[in-house]
Formats: sequence, C-alpha cells, structure tokens
Amino acid sequence: MTFDELVQYMSPELFVPNLEAREKSAVLEELTTAVVEGSKVKDHALILEMLRNREQLGSTALETGVAFPHGRSLAVTRLTILVARSSDGVDFDSEDGKPTHLFFLLLAPPHDTGNFYLQALGKIAEAIRRKDVRTSLMKAVEFDEVVQILQEAS
Amino acid sequence: MTKATDQGRALVALQDLDEQIRDAESAATRAKYEEMGFQLPGLDQLHEAQEKLEDAIDTKLLTRYRLLADRAGRAVVPVVEGTCTGCFTNVPTSFTSSVYEGQIMNCESCGRILFWP
Ligand SMILES: [Zn+2]
Repeated sequence: MTFDELVQYMSPELFVPNLEAREKSAVLEELTTAVVEGSKVKDHALILEMLRNREQLGSTALETGVAFPHGRSLAVTRLTILVARSSDGVDFDSEDGKPTHLFFLLLAPPHDTGNFYLQALGKIAEAIRRKDVRTSLMKAVEFDEVVQILQEAS
Repeated sequence: MTKATDQGRALVALQDLDEQIRDAESAATRAKYEEMGFQLPGLDQLHEAQEKLEDAIDTKLLTRYRLLADRAGRAVVPVVEGTCTGCFTNVPTSFTSSVYEGQIMNCESCGRILFWP
C-alpha cells in the first residue's frame, strides 16, 4: 500500500487540530463525534462502543505520544481515517505513562479483506516513528500540511 | 421488553465485538499488533463485555444469530446501495419503509440479518 492510497481515506473534514477533551473516555467520545460529523459514518453509539472495547483489550497508545484508536464495525462502509491533536496531551494509558498528543483514528468495514486497516495503521505508525515528523505534525496549521508531512516521511 | 430496534443494535454491537475477539485470538493478527508495539492483555475483559451483551439479547434471537454465524460466517450483514452484502442480492426497497420500522429484517435470499449502516 502506498501513502497516496492512504490519503484517499483522509480529508480536511476529518482533522481535529486541537481536542478539547482532557481524559481518555472523553477523547474517545470527541473523536467519535468528529468522525460522525466529518464522514458518512452515522452510528455514534456503535463506533464508541467498539472503540471502548478495543481499549479494554489494550491501550492503542504507543510510547511515542501517538495513539491509534481503531477497529472494524458494521456501522462503517469504507476505511475512514481521522487525525486529531491535543497540545496539552492526554493520559491514554500508554506503556510509559507519558501523555498522548497525536491521534489517528482508523475505522474499517467488517468485510475489510486482508486487514487493509492494519496495513494502513502500520504504514502511519512507521511514518511517525521519527521525532521530527511528530514535531512537524504538531505544528502543522492546515490539513494539507499534515498530509504533506506524512507523505514526505513515508 | 426491549424494542426490536434495540435488540437489533445489540446484535450489531455483539457481532463487532465477536470479530474483535476473533482478531485478538488470531495468532497472525496478534503478531502484527505486537510488531507495531501494541500489547493486548485484556482479552478477558472483552469476553466479559461479550457475556453482558449476550445477556441483553433475547434468547431466541441470540440462538438464531449464533446459528447463522456458524453457517454463514457473518450473521449480520450491511445493506450497501440496496444490496445484501452477504449474498449480493437486491433488498426490496419496501424493507426500509415505515411498515417495517423497528423490526429485525432478514435477507429473503440468504437469510442473514440485515443492517443499514
Ligand atoms: Zn443476502
């Protein structure tokens, strides 16, 4: 999978420059609301329940200050990727206990063959492994810049 | 007595969760997750959530769901652009009319439970 393919599933409507929520549960709710407002996904409750269950399985926050809430749901018809940031950071139960600043929400339909969304997740996780990439992502003003930074990093 | 719509949505939530559990139990998926740096210690919690959801669903409906899932892989399938994605047969447009509102609908062709995402 190329990054150009991935970008098709992102959009300016699915970019939250600064989250208001300050704790994990509220962040999941705010992310779900943003995805319902910015995409064709309609069912807030189903998405939120699926994301909460996924976090029960294990936090989706990595030690790099980035989290990847994700999963498949019947309420989703195509891969949908939302990017969100929190300048103050949120305790998202990461292994190292450090706050999470960057969020990539990935939602996929149940019939996602070959776990396309996991490939997408891996691709983004790889791109943001570099600290300078994460720093630039936090500074980007427009959605286009976010895409450009990710493209150059991949 | 819970409304049929609530029952239907509980089924959808259950299927999402069943798939999440299946993924978490699959060695291949676990390996992918671990490679990316994710830990998955909470499988027991997912099973607990699964039991809770099952308790909220009418026994008859749950049995039908489990039978369909065993037979067809997925018991609940989304209707996309008027088509049952389980068997790719057109779903009658009348299915979305108010007459059936709140009812759990099955595909006339493959019998799977239909969901409009
Ligand atoms: Zn069918």
